[in-house]
Amino acid sequence: MNGPQIYFTIPVLGGIPITETIVNTWILIAFITTVCIFLTRGMKIIPTGRRQQIAEKLVTMLYNLVEEVMGKKYIKFAPYIGALFTISILGSLSSLTGMRPITADLSTTLGWALVTFVMVQVNNIRAHGVGGWLKSFTQPVVMTPLNIISEIANPISMSFRHFGNIAAGMVITSLIYTALASLSSFVLQIVPSVFIQSIPIFQAGLPAILSIYFDLFTSFLQAYIFCMLTMVFVQSAGE
Amino acid sequence: MGEYLSFVDINTWELIFTWVNLLILFLLMKKFLFKPVRAILDKREEEVRKMYDDAEAAKTDAAALEAQYSEKLAGAQQEAREIVEAARRRAAEQSGEIVSEARNKAADLLQKANVQIESERKDAVNEIKSELSSIAVDIAGKVIERDINEKDHEKLIQEFIDGIGEAS
Amino acid sequence: MEKAIILAASAIGAGLAMIAGVGPGIGQGFAAGKAAEAVGRQPEAKGDITSTMLFGCAVAESTGIYGLVVALILLFANPLIGML
Repeated sequence: MNGPQIYFTIPVLGGIPITETIVNTWILIAFITTVCIFLTRGMKIIPTGRRQQIAEKLVTMLYNLVEEVMGKKYIKFAPYIGALFTISILGSLSSLTGMRPITADLSTTLGWALVTFVMVQVNNIRAHGVGGWLKSFTQPVVMTPLNIISEIANPISMSFRHFGNIAAGMVITSLIYTALASLSSFVLQIVPSVFIQSIPIFQAGLPAILSIYFDLFTSFLQAYIFCMLTMVFVQSAGE
Repeated sequence: MGEYLSFVDINTWELIFTWVNLLILFLLMKKFLFKPVRAILDKREEEVRKMYDDAEAAKTDAAALEAQYSEKLAGAQQEAREIVEAARRRAAEQSGEIVSEARNKAADLLQKANVQIESERKDAVNEIKSELSSIAVDIAGKVIERDINEKDHEKLIQEFIDGIGEAS
Repeated sequence: MEKAIILAASAIGAGLAMIAGVGPGIGQGFAAGKAAEAVGRQPEAKGDITSTMLFGCAVAESTGIYGLVVALILLFANPLIGML
C-alpha cells in the first residue's frame, strides 16, 4: 500500500513534488467551481429553474446550520465551512470514480486541521486579548502542560480521525478487491483458458455494497464531523 | 510507475498546497456560489418586504377610502331621507292647504247656496203669501159678499196669513 | 536478520494496536443501545437522536482510528526500518 504518487517534481527550492493528491484537489476545485457557476447562472429573484432552487437550498441549509451551531455572531464563517465541507466530502467521494481520495493523505487533513487550530487561537485572542488567551491555558495552574497538550492534540486528533477513516476504507476496499480477484481466479481454474481466468468476476457486485458504507457513509460523516468540530471549537474559543 | 510518497506521511509542500488550494476553493466558492445566492436571497427578502409594505399601504388606503365612502354614503342617505322628509312635509302641507281651501270653498258654496235657497224660499213664500192673500181676498170676496169693510177684511186676512206664516 | 525481526515485530505490533478497536466497539454499541432506548421512549425525536448518536459515535471512534493509524503506519510506512 503506497501513499500518493508523485507525478513530477518542480526542481526549485529543493524540488516541489506534484502529487496525486494535489492534482486531484485541483480537479475537484475545477469541478466544484464549474458546478457553482452552473448552479448560479442566470439566477432570478423569482426562481424559475431547478438549478437555482438547489443552489438556494444548499446555501440556506449551510447558513442555518452555522447559525444553529455557532450563533449569529459567527455567520461569516459559513462560506469557509461550506468550502471545507464540500472539498472534504467530494475529496472522499472521489474514490467512487477510482481517483485516490485526497483525504486519504495525512497532509491534506492535517492542513485543514491546522487551519482550524489557527482559527481557534485567533478567535480566542480576539475575544480575550493576548493576556486572556495565555491565561486560558493556566486554568487551573497545575494543569497548564495538560491544557497545552490537549490544545495541540485537537488538530492531530481531527486530522487523524478523518485520514484514518478514509484511508482505512481505502485499504479495506483494496484488500477486498485483491481477495475477490484471487477468489475468482481460484474458482475459474476449472475453465481452461488463461483469458477467462484473468477476469475477476467476483469484483462486480460485492464491493459496491461495501463502498456504500466505506465511501458514502464514512465520507459524509467525516466531512460533517470535521466541520462540526471546527465550528464548535471556534465558537467555544470565542466564549 | 513513478515514485510514491509514504502511506502515512506529512509532506511540507503538500501542506502548503493544501492551504493554498483551500484558500482558492474558498474564494472561488464565495465568488461563484455564496455571494450571488446571498445577493439573490437578500434581494428577494427586500422585495417581499417591500411587497408587504405596499400591501399594507394599499390596505390602509382601502380602509380609509372605505370609511370615506361609507361616510359619504351615510351622508347621502341622510340627505335623501331629509329630502324625502321635506318633500313629504311640503306635500302634506300642500295637501292640507288644498283640502282646507277646498273645504272653505265648499263651505262658501254651501253657504251661498243656502243663502240663495233661503232667499228664494223667502221669495217663494212671499209670493205665495201675496198670491194666497189675493186668492183669499178673492175667495173671501166671492164667498162672503158682505160689506165687510175693506179694512177689517184686510186685517182678517193678514191674521190668517200670519197664522199660515207661523205655521209654515 | 535485524530487518526480519523488525518486520515481524511490526506485524505483531500492528495486530496489537488493533486491540484498540475493542473500546470504540463497546462504546458505540452502548451508545446505539441507548439511542434505541431513547427512540423507543420518544419516537418523534428519531431524527435528532440518530444524528446525535452518529456524531457521538464518530467522535468515540477516534481512539479506534488512532489504533488503526498506528497499525497502518507499522504495516505500510514503517519508520523503524529506516532506523537500522
